[in-house]
Amino acid sequence: MPLRPTTGRLATSAPNRSRGEEVSLLERREVLPGRYLLTWAAPDIARRVQPGQFIHVVAPRRPGLLLPAIPVAGFDRAAGRVSLLLADGADGAAAAAGLTALRAGDEAAFEGPLGRGFEVDARSRFLLVVADGEGIAHVRACVDEAVASGRQVTLLLGVAKVSQVLPSSLLPDEAEYVVATTDGSLGHHGSVIDLVARYEAWADQCFAAGSEALLARLAGLARGRDARMGVARLRRKRGRRTEATKAAARRRAWLQVALPHDAGCALGVCLGCVTDGADGPARVCREGPAFAVDELRWAADR
Amino acid sequence: MSIDLAPGRSGALRVRHPVLVAAGGAGYGNELLEIVGDQTPAAIVTRSVTRDARPGNRPPRMAALPDGLLSSIGLQNPGLDAVLRRQSVRWAASTVPIVVSICGDTVEDIAALARALEMQPDIAGIELNLAGRDRGRTAAPMGHDVATAEVATVAARAATELPLIVKLPADVPDARAVARAVAAAGADAISAIAPLPALALAHDRRRAYLGTAYGGLSGPAVKPVGLRVVYEISQVVHVPVIGIGGISALGDVLDYLDAGATAVGMATAALADPFLPGRLGDDLLDWCAGHGIDDLRELSGSALPARRDRGRRRRDR
Repeated sequence: MPLRPTTGRLATSAPNRSRGEEVSLLERREVLPGRYLLTWAAPDIARRVQPGQFIHVVAPRRPGLLLPAIPVAGFDRAAGRVSLLLADGADGAAAAAGLTALRAGDEAAFEGPLGRGFEVDARSRFLLVVADGEGIAHVRACVDEAVASGRQVTLLLGVAKVSQVLPSSLLPDEAEYVVATTDGSLGHHGSVIDLVARYEAWADQCFAAGSEALLARLAGLARGRDARMGVARLRRKRGRRTEATKAAARRRAWLQVALPHDAGCALGVCLGCVTDGADGPARVCREGPAFAVDELRWAADR
Repeated sequence: MSIDLAPGRSGALRVRHPVLVAAGGAGYGNELLEIVGDQTPAAIVTRSVTRDARPGNRPPRMAALPDGLLSSIGLQNPGLDAVLRRQSVRWAASTVPIVVSICGDTVEDIAALARALEMQPDIAGIELNLAGRDRGRTAAPMGHDVATAEVATVAARAATELPLIVKLPADVPDARAVARAVAAAGADAISAIAPLPALALAHDRRRAYLGTAYGGLSGPAVKPVGLRVVYEISQVVHVPVIGIGGISALGDVLDYLDAGATAVGMATAALADPFLPGRLGDDLLDWCAGHGIDDLRELSGSALPARRDRGRRRRDR
């Protein structure tokens, strides 16, 4: 018998069922070229999830590697459904490769919902949701939730060209939807940030995700707005700060941003997803992925 | 059936099965123990603790690569006093042995850390991390130099009676020389390997992806390197060797044991599945029962040149 190196794959271990919820794929739609909206029957996650939170794909996956983290792009609590918006290829390819190849009826297992989502102040009536590129997957659920709670919501989306614009049929009719394209092929010609100024005074709160450049400019804008309106910065406030006052200040923050959870354990132990927080390193998986603008340290602060 | 990871310490670090959680795989242990129930690892090695608080490296700190994980945490921890204040009560309640990993820039740091842990009643052992690298502060890990590694081990040994595991880096010209030196200096066990220095580029290929440029590579990609180092050092030292690097299935555990390891440690795979170390440990015990092996020592080292011809029982693999 020829000698071959052992691959180390002696799989006697039964797959672990104590982690993650078993979910089944209800619908797989290619909403844009190479981009899929996958709708899953996941009653437990749908019941608990908040906009901005993410899930870990426990199965299918390759052994020995980290679990792919995917933001929940939409949910229907009553029907027990969650949806994920995935790009096939380029970034997140590993995550997408396992899921976008599945067909309706296929099973998977998700751990979640994970992280802290966006928090809407009870007094807020007018919500502005801003995203560019892949950021839409992080904030898409905000639009659903805002409409369901009877708030007025405007979604500003910036993409490179018309073929990347999320179809308006994927958004509730009650939401206002404004698009900016870099090449001017649809809507505003330029950056989505140019549109924010028009809505800034109208909005009670703003929720955003996307490129670093977008978030940094929004943060600058939010700081300017707070200064004009005499809002004290979270971290500059004097006096004792308890967890309760921090949470309240976070909920009231005009701008909250969701950061991508690129890699890590989501248990809070690996410290791999850490970002620069105002009070030191902040874990995206635990303290985030949604942060109030003053919870983070921006390039302008350094 | 149990394994003694520190035979020189009269059973102070005796474990139920040979699958540990290596440093980095479970934080300070409590986060993992909260969720795994009774599917427990043999022991948990905590993330490395330093004398003073360290902020860690700037993000991004982790890149998930096709066959491995590149990470650069930079020893982020709140410092020894804060760790003990926050964790010691929970360690006391743990049924799983807790081995605290320590890392220092100087021999004095290491001695102070080991002395402080010696006073703690609920710690099962100390792992001296000679592969720790804080790129902002030190040029190279202590384990890169035989003499430095030896002095550091002597310092830790002199400060504590607890079982002492010494963790070695793999990126050295001769791991055997370092292993021999630390074993002679009083290490009760040696663990290897630590993640390998590596690099990933950002998407636009204009810069390195990680905030510190370099990171440590772990996961399935490094398993052959881990096997090589374990194979080498287990032939030159008489203390137990804990094999670490790319373990995610029972076959990986057996590979390391055959290459000379007495036990194995998992970190990267435990991040994705915290139940896995405990499950693989139980699987291994079942596997042994099924193959008529009643002493785990029988498993260790059957691929080593000196022992290959002793007529092992495991022809049926």
